[in-house]
Amino acid sequence: MKGYLLEIGQALIALALAPGLVGFIRWWKARLQGRRGAPPWFVYYDLRKLFGKEVIVSKNASWIFRFTPYLVFSTTLAVTLLIPLIAAPLPFDALGDLLLVVYLLLLGTFFLALAGLDPGTAFGGMGASREMTIAAIAEPTIALSIFGLALGAGSTNLGRIVAQTVAQPGAAISPGHLLGFAALFIVMLAETGRLPVDNPATHLELTMIHEAMTLEYSGRYLALIEWAAALRLLIFFSLLANMFAPWGVAITLTPMSVSVAIVALVAKLAGLGLVVALLETRLAKLRLFRVPELLAVSFVLALLAVTSSFLLR
Amino acid sequence: MTFLLLLVPSLLSALFAIAVRPYRSIIGWSNAFASIVAFGAAVNLAGQVINGAEAIVYGPGEFLRVDALSALLVVLVTGVATLTLFFSPGLGRETRYNESQLRRYHIFINLFISSMLLAVTANNVAIMWVALEASTIFSALIIPLRLTRESIEASWKYILIGSVGIALAFAGTVLSYFDFVTLSGRVENALNWPVLRVTAPLLHPEVMRLSFVFILVGYGTKAGIAPMHTWKPDAYGESPSSLGALMSAALFAVAMYAVLRWKIVVDACVGGHFSDNLLLALGLLSIAIGSLSVVLVRNYKRMLAYSSVEHAGLICLGLGLGPLGVFAALLHLVNHTAAKSMMFFLVRGIEAKYNSSLIKDVRGMLRVMPWSGGLFAVGILALVGLPPFGLFISEIALFRAGFSMHHPWLMGTALALLGVAFISFIAQLNKMLYGPVPQGISVGEVDSPSWIMPLLIPLVVLVALGLTLPMPLVSLLNSIVEIVF
Amino acid sequence: MDSTLFTQLSALGSSLALLAGIALLWRRSLDSYIQAFKWQSFVIAAMFLMVGYFGHDRELYAMAVFFLVLKVIIIPRYLRRLEKRVGAERESEPYINIPTSLIVSGVLVLLSYALTRPLVAVSKLPTRGALPLAMGLIFVGLLVVVTRRKALTQVVGFLVLENGIALLAMLGTYGIPFIIELGVFLDVMMGFLAMQVFVYHIHGTFESMDVEQLNQLKH
Repeated sequence: MKGYLLEIGQALIALALAPGLVGFIRWWKARLQGRRGAPPWFVYYDLRKLFGKEVIVSKNASWIFRFTPYLVFSTTLAVTLLIPLIAAPLPFDALGDLLLVVYLLLLGTFFLALAGLDPGTAFGGMGASREMTIAAIAEPTIALSIFGLALGAGSTNLGRIVAQTVAQPGAAISPGHLLGFAALFIVMLAETGRLPVDNPATHLELTMIHEAMTLEYSGRYLALIEWAAALRLLIFFSLLANMFAPWGVAITLTPMSVSVAIVALVAKLAGLGLVVALLETRLAKLRLFRVPELLAVSFVLALLAVTSSFLLR
Repeated sequence: MTFLLLLVPSLLSALFAIAVRPYRSIIGWSNAFASIVAFGAAVNLAGQVINGAEAIVYGPGEFLRVDALSALLVVLVTGVATLTLFFSPGLGRETRYNESQLRRYHIFINLFISSMLLAVTANNVAIMWVALEASTIFSALIIPLRLTRESIEASWKYILIGSVGIALAFAGTVLSYFDFVTLSGRVENALNWPVLRVTAPLLHPEVMRLSFVFILVGYGTKAGIAPMHTWKPDAYGESPSSLGALMSAALFAVAMYAVLRWKIVVDACVGGHFSDNLLLALGLLSIAIGSLSVVLVRNYKRMLAYSSVEHAGLICLGLGLGPLGVFAALLHLVNHTAAKSMMFFLVRGIEAKYNSSLIKDVRGMLRVMPWSGGLFAVGILALVGLPPFGLFISEIALFRAGFSMHHPWLMGTALALLGVAFISFIAQLNKMLYGPVPQGISVGEVDSPSWIMPLLIPLVVLVALGLTLPMPLVSLLNSIVEIVF
Repeated sequence: MDSTLFTQLSALGSSLALLAGIALLWRRSLDSYIQAFKWQSFVIAAMFLMVGYFGHDRELYAMAVFFLVLKVIIIPRYLRRLEKRVGAERESEPYINIPTSLIVSGVLVLLSYALTRPLVAVSKLPTRGALPLAMGLIFVGLLVVVTRRKALTQVVGFLVLENGIALLAMLGTYGIPFIIELGVFLDVMMGFLAMQVFVYHIHGTFESMDVEQLNQLKH
């Protein structure tokens, strides 16, 4: 019973923290660029504003256009139930594991691409095709990079993997771990639309990838999609943090360990957010034909991670 | 003492060439006569081995060791080296190279010869490797003696492919050392060949198999076995002819020596079939590529290179055919050395007369230069395996070995390919020998008769080996076969 | 497999060396190749020190110093000088494109795992787990030489191949005998200098470092 409550609480905490995370990164980017920047909680005001606005839908759009924001939001929320944010293992782990997580994320991406094509605008189609190019190479890498850890733990259940890593801290500097981390980090940048793959702050449509698909959205639809994107960022950050450096995750379900876990999670998210903000300030956006090269590197890193954990056992 | 007489002359010649600036022909002459000393030492060593010495050693920790196989090779290498040095540019004949080029040539060719001699006399397989790598570098520096687009292209391909091949051979050496060390710990003389040979049955077969593949690919690149032969036509085509003689005869023999040394070790560990099959496969491939490429060739030096590839294939084939095959292969090596070196020396004169390396520019050779043309024709006939030349005897021995080892299809295919080569060579030869004399070519040999006479030496060797098998050679080859099996 | 510190560190070092080799397949500019080679040689020299320490072998300290001086200081300096003289040309179109070559290199690493299985099974040294990575580095160097068009890239690929062999020797046998190692260093130095001479000639005669231009000699 406690476990189920904790799960739901975990999902709610994720929902609550996600926009703050995006705002945090935005704030730090501003400061690094010498501006004052809007405080991190302004994103919540943005969301509230969007929920109040009118929804305008193109005449050519079909049911996919209206359905997608709900789908994307719900799949991303479902993923937060499956990954070890605060505690591991959790009751819902029996429902799904690494592969289900990857497929849920991919389902959201797929429908978002369809929704980009649906209204029949040129930018939407362009964004959708670019997104699919990136997703084609990035999705296998997500699975592969965590698969290396899964081989060590003997199961693709994410909670089990976390428990294994906590039990054997020496394994954290093994090449399998480090390579997997590097691979997942690069994929995270690609999947969440961060520099150097895609600039989230751009206003030039021809340079957009993720934003181009959502150009037609307005009102509550846009709010849901933005929230889902923020949740996606939080999911990837927590995967990076809790899969590869799981110390702080509550193994037992005592109030003490749970509160420590929450604090640890916030700290890790903030740390990763800082790193991403730094990277975004330092790196320039890659030309589109160079993105597959970067993703191929991350794929090879993930492959090396799997082979070295498989054969160095 | 004999070892010093063998190895030191070429080093001294190189030093002499470095010390004296600008180049004078006295350097070339002294180099040539110094190499006779080395040849004498080599014959002496061979004589000792034939008379019953199993191996002659020299130096701290038996650094140098000459057994029957090494003895055969030092004789071959010094023999070709002496002829090459006598026929090198810069000994008084007219030459198209300037002084600095001649100086560079004489420095590096002597270093090349000394590195090859070190490779065949070194006891330690790693030192053999070091010497072979050094020989790659030294020879690569002479190919572009005249800097043209083609010669730079040829030398770049040669040094890149050669160095990569040699590096892979080193990887194979490291793998065997790894196996040895795993078995017996790090011993000082672990890589000495006799030690490896004795320990071989105890080594692990899978590791040695992997090691042999690397070594065959690596040293095979140096020997010019297909599919690693791509540098050969370019390098032979663009280098000065005397270097071509040395590379096609001596370097090739040294590379095959390295392969054979390792084959002996690996066979003791894994059994003969593995290496035999590999050698048969690569040998047949080389014969095929060599023979078929002659059909399309346009440059007569490249034609000689493809002939080298074909004969490399034949020797490889022989090495994979048991004791009879090894005997035949080594006899073929001796014959090929004589024939190829003679061809390259002749080619120098032809190139000087016709000012071109293309077959279509050479016409009416029999009328323009009867002696050179005649010898060239004789050489081609020898290379395609006609009697009464030695190559005929060794090829017969090879095919006999093949049929006795129950490989009829293999031998049949090889024969068919040799037939193709025969037709293409004769066709190209006919184009060159007969026909009207081209415009502007004066009739008459380029060199005086005293320069042509020495070319008869390899010819005499070829004919002698074609008519009879002298006892010393037979006993030497038999001793080698005993080492192998 | 015991995961002692020595084993972990050797696996870590070899992975870094392999990654530096893969960087050669990813990047385009000659500067990044020289950087990658320098860092790779630095990691390998550090590994020589580490193996010397854990394996109680003084000779490896000397070898580490030689390696450092030759491959981290001297050769990159010559490469930079050469680059300045012939003009750094970017590798714009290798024979197989970059994502494909990266995936091929991944496959080659898998192949080297398969090939070195007997080696790992036979060896008793704690460093044996990283042997596949060294073999993978050899294959990656070979891939660079075969698929790249610029002569200088091929030279760096060859140097990476040599590094891979040195790593293989170190992981498998704690280094080969010193005399031979010296001979190998000498050869590498000479080979590199000779290649340098040729690169210079290529630039002078062809005005381009593209080996596609070296296609005059046919039949």
